[in-house]
Amino acid sequence: MIPRRRTAVITSTTLAALAAAAPSAAQPAPLAVGAHAVLGWSTLDPAPGGARASAVAAEQVFAMAMLRAAGGRFRVVGMVNLEGATMPGGVLAPGAFGEGFMDRRHPHTYLHELVATGVWPGRPMGMSLTVGKGFAAFGSDDPTNRPALRFPVNHHWAQILERLTAVLGVRAGPLVVEGSLFNGDEPDAPDAWPNATRFGDSWALRMTLQPARGLEMQGSRARVASPEHREGSGPTSWKWSASARYLHRWSGGPELYGLAEWARTTEAEGFFVFPSALIEAQLRAGPHRPYVRLEWTDRPEEERTLDPYRSVRPHLDDALLGITRWRIQTVGYGFSVRVAGTTLEPILEVARAAVGIVGGGVFTPADFYGGATLWSATAALRVRVGTPHRMGRYGVLDESGDATAHSGH
Amino acid sequence: MRFLRPKTARVLVALVCGGLGAACDETPTAVVEPSLEGVSGAGQSAVVGAMLAEPLVVRVRDAAGAPVAGQTVAWRAAPGGIAPASSPTDADGLARATVTLGPAAGTQTFVARLGSDSVTFAAIARPDAPTALAIRGGTGQAGRIGQPLGAPYVVEARDRFGNPVPGAEIAWQAASGEGTIIPAGTTGPGVTAFFLLADGTGRSAVVHTPERVGPNSVRAVVGTNQATVIFTSTGTNTPTLVATVPIPPSYGIHDTFVRDGIAFVSAWNTGLILYDVGNGIAGGSPAQPAEISRIVTGSAGLSGARVHNAWWFHNPVTAERRYVFVGQEGPGIIGSSSSGDIHVVDVTNLAQPVEVAFYHLNGAGTHNFWMDEPAQILYAAYYNGGVVALDVSGTLSGDLAPREIARTTPGGATTYVWGVQLSGGALYATDMLHGLYRLALTGGAFAVSGGDNVPERYSSDLWVHGTYAYTGTWGTRAAAGHALKIWQLPAVGVPTLVDSLIVAGIGTVSDVEVSADGRLLLFSAENGPAAGIHLYDVATNPARPQLVAAIPVSTGVHTATLADIGGRRYVFAARNPSDPALRIYDVTGLP
Repeated sequence: MIPRRRTAVITSTTLAALAAAAPSAAQPAPLAVGAHAVLGWSTLDPAPGGARASAVAAEQVFAMAMLRAAGGRFRVVGMVNLEGATMPGGVLAPGAFGEGFMDRRHPHTYLHELVATGVWPGRPMGMSLTVGKGFAAFGSDDPTNRPALRFPVNHHWAQILERLTAVLGVRAGPLVVEGSLFNGDEPDAPDAWPNATRFGDSWALRMTLQPARGLEMQGSRARVASPEHREGSGPTSWKWSASARYLHRWSGGPELYGLAEWARTTEAEGFFVFPSALIEAQLRAGPHRPYVRLEWTDRPEEERTLDPYRSVRPHLDDALLGITRWRIQTVGYGFSVRVAGTTLEPILEVARAAVGIVGGGVFTPADFYGGATLWSATAALRVRVGTPHRMGRYGVLDESGDATAHSGH
Repeated sequence: MRFLRPKTARVLVALVCGGLGAACDETPTAVVEPSLEGVSGAGQSAVVGAMLAEPLVVRVRDAAGAPVAGQTVAWRAAPGGIAPASSPTDADGLARATVTLGPAAGTQTFVARLGSDSVTFAAIARPDAPTALAIRGGTGQAGRIGQPLGAPYVVEARDRFGNPVPGAEIAWQAASGEGTIIPAGTTGPGVTAFFLLADGTGRSAVVHTPERVGPNSVRAVVGTNQATVIFTSTGTNTPTLVATVPIPPSYGIHDTFVRDGIAFVSAWNTGLILYDVGNGIAGGSPAQPAEISRIVTGSAGLSGARVHNAWWFHNPVTAERRYVFVGQEGPGIIGSSSSGDIHVVDVTNLAQPVEVAFYHLNGAGTHNFWMDEPAQILYAAYYNGGVVALDVSGTLSGDLAPREIARTTPGGATTYVWGVQLSGGALYATDMLHGLYRLALTGGAFAVSGGDNVPERYSSDLWVHGTYAYTGTWGTRAAAGHALKIWQLPAVGVPTLVDSLIVAGIGTVSDVEVSADGRLLLFSAENGPAAGIHLYDVATNPARPQLVAAIPVSTGVHTATLADIGGRRYVFAARNPSDPALRIYDVTGLP
């Protein structure tokens, strides 16, 4: 764990440098840059072990850039994420799991996204090809681009990211179809690089329909080979995702955002099934940003190491202690102010999580947490320079909808 | 024989001046001193301190060569004695002296002097009989019991004056129960005692193989006075890593079954790998395992072979060693569901194993095995399927479902059986949620007793030896820390928990075993700062295991088993999960 003082220094230094070098730029400027960080205090009660846990962490610390050339036909998007340095032990998050973390959201890789896209525009047809490290064409927006600070439990069910990916997109009027090939292995450390030898062992297909302004619906299907075992011996995941996203701006007035999402992942020839449903909404009115999220997600309970927030990696077998269902209600409020080109947003977020067992297994939330209802609260300050883009939207999908991450930011 | 005859200057001057006449200033004179020559007594030898058999004799002559009587010859000796100190010449011009050799072995000299003339005698002083020994190296070493020490024990035989005694006969003997010795520079099996002649420098050397932990001594004895020195070195039992065999990181390595010098390594989707570790079929040894063959068993509808464990069936009824039973571990939810079949591999030709049969139990997957070989029954722990008994007599092929003898779920709906072991006519089973059971197969059905006796932890592996059983625990339940449970097994009735052995810094006790001689208990430990292999003395008091060694393996050890090969004892350990490998340790002599 980086000492708190050092964390703050890293964060402030990064933001200051980016702010000085790159004033915000509105698209479709040739170069758009941005930076973002959240410094927050979180508490989880009860936490693993039964007692309350609290921590301060600098999370979602990243800088991004988007380069457009040839009239937007060639684009490069990059994002550097410093969470591996600012929160190597993750950040407290009820129900979060993945990449060896449990009840703490894991840090992302330092090179979070770097893709190049070629676009062949046309009306009503268009086509694009994206290659690089980034998102597979699957699922809904990354939680970073959405209202709540705490990631939902279903992050690993509803997005596929940090892979070597090639995405071919075709647009036909309001319909965008994307297919992508990528490596199945997910990162196992912030400095991990995708296993290039596995490129192409996994695929994803997403269809996005934009029938009306502000309304976007997508359905996705993916086969992810051995996501949790880097060498490829783990079970295959089959994934479904469907979501509807709505964004409405009243002229000169507030902005309303809503997302309804369903996802389902099966593993090991259907032996394990993990469904998820999520609804979230946000109203932005001037500096005010209240939001709410309701989630129902099943997650695997893996044997933990002596650190109750970590599970054994790599896996020895495919046994779970059980499957838990997380029903989480999250409410939050942010208040934005702009100071010298920088957006500052104090945020207060509270969540209540009820944990239950699905089927059998030996994992008992009441024993492990000391109770089956967990409360969490976060008080944070978000600092933003520039305009973050909606991650994972490349080529024809990028140009056909809202390119920026309106919701959370 | 050697004499030294220096000319006197004066004689020389006289001769020269007499010959040259006027060339000399002084008037020539006839003053010439007599000369001295050795006659006898030189070149004798005797032991140090002894008198030479013959006297030393010199003759005095005048310039004309005639013997001169009445001249006094002085005798000098160092460091021995010579008598008399001076002696007159007789009528023949002879003078005599008797010599006693000094204490230093080697060449000694004695001088006869007359005026300025002298004769030197040399004699050889041999070492006397050995009366003492001196340690010249090797003592105070520390070495692994059962293995030769790195440096020889070297002793030097000495006489009463401290001279080395070449050829001295030295008796070497290792103390009873403290190892064996062989002459340095030789090979072959060690013995406990022998005689060895000292070399030309008076030295003798042996190599000691300590036998027990702690001081091990060897004594050397010489001479009629039984002069003795004792070499003492410390025998250690620190396990020694003798081999590391990388295993493909395809979920790595799980169980290892060793029998007749062949290790059957269950390497998940890589399959079952057969290594010669002392059998001889492929020239392998524990230090250099040699792969014989490998087989990827069927997936049975799962993703990959998932080879978890194996048992090589030695059928005493048919004298066949034909089948290996392979356990496949599919996905599961502990306490609820599991998957994976038993695969039967024909190893009539160990170099070309062939899968010939399988057993499938709907809704459940297999885990560890035990066999009643005389009865030709395979007992399989079957997680939520409980315990299954299969008739494996005769030829096995195809689906073995009709061969199911009995099945039981000792813990009821939440049973989840990790392992089974047959001992003393009873079958014992550990249920991860319900603890230790005692089962008895009679009339095609299991009778069940015990269980629900480890409420604070989840149970894992078991091992039964004599009237005691040891079971591991894992994971987290109500109590922190991980432990080995110690049970006493009555002739009838349920196991009685007698103690718990708490070990901090361990995530899971994943494998438990007691050596065939009942002396050594081991368990493997996964994740945590104390991960690795833990070895205990259970010979002294099986109810109170005493830690004798711990082998830390930072990445953790998933399973471990003991095997006696070539008179030595080894631990075969599965290093997991990162950088998986079969690790083989020599633990001979523990405890």
